[in-house]
Amino acid sequence: MVSLSRVFRALVLALRVALGAVFVYAAWTKLRQPWQLFAMSIDAYKVLPYWAVLAVARTLPWAELAIGLLLMAGRWLRITSTAASLLMMLFLALMTKAYADGMHIDCGCFGLGDPISARTLARDGSLLAGYLFLTWTSLSGRRKAA
Amino acid sequence: MKLFALALTVLLPCLAASSDADPGKALGSPSAPIQIEVFSDFECPACKGLHEQILPLVMRDYVIPGKVFLVSREFPLQMHPYSREAACYATAAARLGKYPQVADTLFLNQVAWGANGKVWDTVAKVLTPAEASKVQLLAKDPAVLSEVQRDVDAGKAAAINQTPTMIVTHGASRFPVAGAVNYNLLRSLLDGLLK
Repeated sequence: MVSLSRVFRALVLALRVALGAVFVYAAWTKLRQPWQLFAMSIDAYKVLPYWAVLAVARTLPWAELAIGLLLMAGRWLRITSTAASLLMMLFLALMTKAYADGMHIDCGCFGLGDPISARTLARDGSLLAGYLFLTWTSLSGRRKAA
Repeated sequence: MKLFALALTVLLPCLAASSDADPGKALGSPSAPIQIEVFSDFECPACKGLHEQILPLVMRDYVIPGKVFLVSREFPLQMHPYSREAACYATAAARLGKYPQVADTLFLNQVAWGANGKVWDTVAKVLTPAEASKVQLLAKDPAVLSEVQRDVDAGKAAAINQTPTMIVTHGASRFPVAGAVNYNLLRSLLDGLLK
């Protein structure tokens, strides 16, 4: 009979690979197009100065790619899952603020044509819950090991 | 605005159309390496911003030098009660070569006609009495109505969900640029494509 802990570990593994793939996909949608398009999405939030918009547009997709690949590979899980959770919290906070302010802009999450709406907020909120769960399992696993 | 009007005047002899572009709504050389289709709504404030602040710069830096072929498309949103009427008048005026003037006045007086619904009064100000009569007739012409609808359908087919949206085409690549854009970023994008 399969033990509950093995089922739990299998579910965590599946969730980790899926959530890692989400970050890889998000990075791919940005890297396959000119970086200026992502910069325009960032600029539309009106929260960063121009130089920071350029810096984020050029670096964030690569950071997303690295985090996604590391999550899928199961490397440095405590760091990567925490980084993914923090990034998702930041994205969700910015999107919620833009939505509350009545801004009709693209969320910039998965390339173009994805305007901020209740649906996108629910989607990213669900993803955040998943990343927080992964962070909790990776950190609690460390405590148990210690 | 003055620069945009001047550029339009300079380019009038160059007006040309791609296969499906209304010649009255297209500016620049159809053989330009980049085509920008602007889907906009005359009642949308962000479209006014694009028309008055960004497009004159695009005209100066890219359309006049022959690097960009600029095509205007109608995308009246249902939330704006008078925008389709405005689009029909503008498209009708394009048949007389008066699209730039009508578009300019519609955006310039957007707040007023958007509030009182007097779209025609705004349009008529930039037309001679003879032109006004023709535009009023043409605005009800099925060919004009279907041209506006074709633009809307083309926008929906391109998954446009907000105005303004520019579809930037370079070779086989098409990039939608939605909302109010920073001209520095748009310039960087266009320069990157032209390299």
